[in-house]
Amino acid sequence: MPSDALPAREAVASGNGGLSDEQVREGAMEGALIAAGEVGYREASVRAILEHSGGHRAQFYKHFESREDCFAQAYATWVDRLCVDLLEAAASASGWEAGVRAALVELFRFVSGRPAIARALFVEVQIAGEPALSRHEAAVERAAAALDGARAEIEPERAPPEATGVFVVGGIESCVCEVLTAGDPARIWDTLPELMHLAVGSYFDREAAEAAFEEASIMLERDRAKQGGEAG
Amino acid sequence: MTRLRLVASAPGAGTAELDTMAAVRLPPGRHGLPADLVRANQRQRMLEAATEALAEHGYGRITAARVTELAGVSSRTFYQHFEDLWACLLAAYETEAAGLRGAIEGACAAAEADGADRARAGIAAALDFLASEPAVARLLSAEPPPQVVALAAARRDLAEQLGTMLRGAIEQGGTIPLPGLERRLIGAALALVATRSGDGDPRRLRDLEPELSELLLPVL
Repeated sequence: MPSDALPAREAVASGNGGLSDEQVREGAMEGALIAAGEVGYREASVRAILEHSGGHRAQFYKHFESREDCFAQAYATWVDRLCVDLLEAAASASGWEAGVRAALVELFRFVSGRPAIARALFVEVQIAGEPALSRHEAAVERAAAALDGARAEIEPERAPPEATGVFVVGGIESCVCEVLTAGDPARIWDTLPELMHLAVGSYFDREAAEAAFEEASIMLERDRAKQGGEAG
Repeated sequence: MTRLRLVASAPGAGTAELDTMAAVRLPPGRHGLPADLVRANQRQRMLEAATEALAEHGYGRITAARVTELAGVSSRTFYQHFEDLWACLLAAYETEAAGLRGAIEGACAAAEADGADRARAGIAAALDFLASEPAVARLLSAEPPPQVVALAAARRDLAEQLGTMLRGAIEQGGTIPLPGLERRLIGAALALVATRSGDGDPRRLRDLEPELSELLLPVL
């Protein structure tokens, strides 16, 4: 798995290194997620967090009651940022289907670019339990509500089930968990066509789903050919 | 789900049968019960306790000590049966997964209808099984720690088996047009079950059948 460990912070270890309180807090939160993503939530001790973030226990406990508190605060901050990024990506695209695709591409960038943090947000949260799990459920509901924007394009008599949004988000999440658990985050890109099929097929019909699958497949091939050309 | 039940516990009169009752704690001291019955009863109590402890504490805080406390067994007994906490949870997972598959198979076999209607009967039976035991629903649907490789693999296997069973029920065997899609659909269904089973109202799980059928069957 690619590492997204923070650069060493020796300066912080020997004092506060001139960093503000907020920077120390931010570093510890990022360190908590990276530690949980790399060694698992159960093993992500304060020591493991400080190995990533730098700083002393005294600084840590100035901001957090415990490692659980640090993880919970980190989770809330990062999951909110990710939600905002995904919703902004979707909003910048033209139409619902293009918006879903744009949000997935943004999600895949995050998963393949920051795999340890992604693993903390998607996999380890299930292990961490409350209060992070409630934040996770709120984020799922938020994403599901955004997906439900499709209903504006569907006649009422053909409206999909109420649970469709949560169902689709769950399918996307299970896919993310699968590649992260397998230690192969780059493979997330391969799943774009099937996730587009899942999203479009759940709200519309099989024909629309298959068209979305084809379009995503072509887009992937085009991007890979372009990357291959640039590398050559 | 099949569970061991003590039918008679008088000295020398121990016997057991399989039914749907939870395993009970055996009388202490000399009871004359066969050693294999005692061992099976202890194991069943620990599996049930592990499921309950997981529902209480989640994967992050569950401990072997809590399992032994709930099961009413000593730590020594626990480690005579299981190498560690994860081996116990894996055994509980496999037991309940087999129960879930059995419930689906039974419902599909008993269904007079064919195709999608039979698959609906299977989905209803699965939801009924999970709704009757919220702790089991949590065990089977929650993502386990990926570090516990065997448990993560067991969950993947269950998802694949459920997909195969559903496809079989609607008689559309053979190659799947989009191989990854079936895993996504079952993953989505399990995530939905995990969300609904966490809200404390098992009836909401049973009510999911029409929605899940509508979301799963047209694609499968």
